[in-house]
Amino acid sequence: MSDHEVGDTYEVVTEDLRREDFVRYAGASGDFNRIHYDEPFVTDAGYDSVFGQGMFTAGVATRAVREAFGIAGLREYRTRFVSQVWPDDTLTTTLEVESVEETDDGTRVDASLTVENDDGESVIEGGVVVVD
Amino acid sequence: MPTKSLDEIQALVGETRTTVEDFEIERGKVAEFARAIRDPADIYLDEDAAREAGYDGIPAPPTFERTTEFPRYRPEGVDDHTGFDLGFDPRRIIHGEQAFEFERPLYVGDVLTGRTTLENAYEREGQRGGTITFAEFRTDYETQDGEHVLTARATSLETGRAIADDGGDGDE
Repeated sequence: MSDHEVGDTYEVVTEDLRREDFVRYAGASGDFNRIHYDEPFVTDAGYDSVFGQGMFTAGVATRAVREAFGIAGLREYRTRFVSQVWPDDTLTTTLEVESVEETDDGTRVDASLTVENDDGESVIEGGVVVVD
Repeated sequence: MPTKSLDEIQALVGETRTTVEDFEIERGKVAEFARAIRDPADIYLDEDAAREAGYDGIPAPPTFERTTEFPRYRPEGVDDHTGFDLGFDPRRIIHGEQAFEFERPLYVGDVLTGRTTLENAYEREGQRGGTITFAEFRTDYETQDGEHVLTARATSLETGRAIADDGGDGDE
C-alpha cells in the first residue's frame, strides 16, 4: 500500500539564490555557458543580469522528490523550462499527487511538479512517476 | 536560423550516435553535484546512510546525467555533446525540456555508455514572430554489464530572435 493519496502535496522552499549557486552548478555539471555567470557578457547582450541554468533549477526541484518519495523507485522525472531564474529569487517546488494505482510492479504514483519564484510565476512545470 | 535547412536537419532524424563513453559515476562528483543543487541528504554522501535508507549504494541525484556535458566523457570526433551538428546558432539555443526515464537510480561505481538518437526535428512560428527550430534527442544509457538503466530526453530549440524574448533557460 502507498502512503500517498491523490491531492497530497509536498513543498520545498529554496531561499535567496545567488550568483554563486549558478557558478557552483556550472562547476559541478560542466554547463559553462557564459550567460549564467558572466555579467558584462549578459548585460551587453541585453539581459538585466546572469540567470540560472534550467538544469540547476530542475536539480534543486529533485530535493522535493527525494523527500516525498525517495529516488529508488523514481521512474520518470520531466521538466519543461517556462521562464528564467534570477539572483535573489526564492523558489518553491511543489509536488501534487495526481493518481495512485496498483500495478504488477507495485504502487505507481503520478505527481505534478511545479517550481515557482517569489512572484508566484512558474519557472518549471513537469511531473514525476514513482513505483514502489 | 540554423545554417542547415530543415530538410537537411530532418534527414538526420532516426540516426543514432555514441555520445557518451566511460561515464563513471564517481563518489566525489556525486557529492559535489548534490551540494550544487542544494540537497544536503546524507544518501548522496555516505554509503552506510544510503544502504540504511534502502539504496544499493550511493545514488546519484536524478539529474546527474547532465554531467555528461564534461568533455572527458565524449568519444573522440564528437564535438557537441548531442552528437549532432544541426547548424544551430549557439547564441540562440534554448534548452526547452528535459526528461529522464529510470530503470533504477545511477549508483557510484556504474560506468555508462550513452547513445543518442535524433528523434524529431520541426519548425514552429514563435509567439512574437520568428521561426523556432526544435530538435528532440533521446540518449539511452547502458552499464558496463549491458544493463539499460536510463533514457534521457532533451528538447533543444533555436529561436529566430534574441533568447531573452522566448523564455527557456538559454542552455544547449
